[in-house]
Amino acid sequence: MTALSHEITQTSRAAGIPFILKRAFFNALVALVLFSLMVGVRTEAGPDGQLTYWPRFVELASLVGIVFGGSVVIELLRQWIGPSGAERLVPPALHSGLSFLGRYLAPALLIFTLLVPVIFYDQRYILDLAILVLTYVMLGWGLNVVVGLAGLLDLGYVAFYAVGAYSYALLATNFGWSFWICLPLAGILAAFWGVLLGFPVLRLRGDYLAIVTLAFGEIIRLVLINWQSLTGGPNGVPGIPRPTLFGIPLTNTDDGLAALLGIEFSPTHRIVFLFYLILALALLTNWVTIRLRRLPIGRAWEALREDEVACRALGINTTTTKLTAFATGAMFGGFAGAFFATRQGFISPESFTFQESALVLAIVVLGGMGSQLGVALAALTMIGGFELFRGLETYRMLVFGWAMVLIMIWRPRGLIGHRAPTVYLKKSQAISSDLVKEGHG
Amino acid sequence: MTAASPLLAIRGLRAAYGKIEALKGVDIEINSGEIVALIGANGAGKSTLMMTIFGRPRARAGQILYDGKDITTVPTHEIAHLRIAQSPEGRRIFPRMSVAENLRMGADVTDSTDAERDSTLERVFALFPRLKERFAQRGGTLSGGEQQMLAIGRALMSRPRLLLLDEPSLGLAPLIARQIFDAIRTLNRQDGLTVLIVEQNANHALKLAHRGYVMVNGLITLAGSGAELLQRPEIRAAYLEGGRHT
Repeated sequence: MTALSHEITQTSRAAGIPFILKRAFFNALVALVLFSLMVGVRTEAGPDGQLTYWPRFVELASLVGIVFGGSVVIELLRQWIGPSGAERLVPPALHSGLSFLGRYLAPALLIFTLLVPVIFYDQRYILDLAILVLTYVMLGWGLNVVVGLAGLLDLGYVAFYAVGAYSYALLATNFGWSFWICLPLAGILAAFWGVLLGFPVLRLRGDYLAIVTLAFGEIIRLVLINWQSLTGGPNGVPGIPRPTLFGIPLTNTDDGLAALLGIEFSPTHRIVFLFYLILALALLTNWVTIRLRRLPIGRAWEALREDEVACRALGINTTTTKLTAFATGAMFGGFAGAFFATRQGFISPESFTFQESALVLAIVVLGGMGSQLGVALAALTMIGGFELFRGLETYRMLVFGWAMVLIMIWRPRGLIGHRAPTVYLKKSQAISSDLVKEGHG
Repeated sequence: MTAASPLLAIRGLRAAYGKIEALKGVDIEINSGEIVALIGANGAGKSTLMMTIFGRPRARAGQILYDGKDITTVPTHEIAHLRIAQSPEGRRIFPRMSVAENLRMGADVTDSTDAERDSTLERVFALFPRLKERFAQRGGTLSGGEQQMLAIGRALMSRPRLLLLDEPSLGLAPLIARQIFDAIRTLNRQDGLTVLIVEQNANHALKLAHRGYVMVNGLITLAGSGAELLQRPEIRAAYLEGGRHT
């Protein structure tokens, strides 16, 4: 088997050279057409305001040359890596190593995450970044219920994030309610808005659904901007109270946590508290999602993603199934929003633009739809990566775009495209071999 | 229920997609324990009839009586709770879910206990041992025949009294189609399951069925026992020409 596949790659490699040249030539031609005006002709305003221009042959030629050379290199690389179906060529040792990694990656990551405040206690920047990453992990897991499990493409997820944030901000600033009372309320309100969005889009799928959810996200944002008397409009809501540890404030006062524990006060305490708070919220999201997947409702979500007609034939109420998916996803968005509000202490509509929705959706898609670990890894890479490249402001989006294109080429189902089944046989039984002979299916 | 009243009775059923009328007054009766075949050409309205029983599209006129109750206006998702199961045209299994999950989906809507579910599962495996072998595999990776077995198995998981099968032999090799038909016969004889089967493969379906109906342009044009219909020259000319004569 190995020898055979090896032979196949050999032949395809040998047949390549004219093909590579042809392809590179074609790419160079396209580059020539594109660059001849963009680069090949330089225009400038002359001294009297008239247009002066001159050709730049050297620059043009070198660009076309780079494209030609680059095409050859890419083609060679592609053939060296082999055809996309050549996964069998992975050596067994590497394969077992990867599966070992896969089994222990999630627990290892979790333990590391738990220890982050201990390891990086003095590095405020890293703690802040970790909180940000965890917020997006939570948003990704929440959206994963809607997009990954139920297959409903939601481009307006940020609306629920906003509803949660404003719910907490307004309840806390107007009525002085504590974070722990407002958190479930924010979730419930967001879920309510999820159902509200769900009703008009029940009959929609795919592109049409995406457009409506996109509009919904914008509507919420525009309402927040324009309803000045309630939301403060573009000025936002300032002075949102910080969360307390079940009533004990984390401040430098006599009734603060530090004073009660008899330790010296440090502002880092609050950051660490926020870190564990969002970690707990994210893990709650994860746990609920994993549990739901094993229940009939979770299976119904996945079945709905696969085939709506078959679902109806099996007696699934598609209306309630869709609405619960929207509501569940929205609820977690609302939790994350409430956390965001209490962390920032100030919110404004600017934080809830379409870009946020797109980012969370990208995290879900790149991570592998429906995969919890994949979403977490994607959030870490995207948000962490964004921060890493902050120094290279100009090239950040370029790298981001490249990463997306590469992932979609090599891992079209996302980083972790594997989907773990949720139903197992209780006991394995031997089956007579004559019943399962090959060639009868 | 008296022995005389049919399990499913359809009276003067009309259904339409927009302005196009697909069913123009259909009358069908299915008695408990029977296999009834519905044959007809493409576009005759066979699949529409199956779907109208499940309320999609809704009947414009007429009645659907199941076990003496009028189910014409019952919501689609509740009809499956009445122990009517459907294996839809084109199989429509859930490709990214495992065989186990596909089967489980069939049982999820019923109120059956764990023990009942397990015994039904054993029954499905006895009928289609290949499904047991493929238990952890994704539905989409099964062959066409296995997918059809899965679709029927999934429908059986709800422990139905009436099974609606829409074109179970569609796109299958003759040998596999025969296996499927054999399984349907077994289900009927051993479990007493009532079956309505829609088929283009008239030869097979009529041999299997106790009774048959022929549908043309949204109307039932002929009815009779399976053997009777097979002998009719107009049936032979219209539906068996070029078919497999065995």
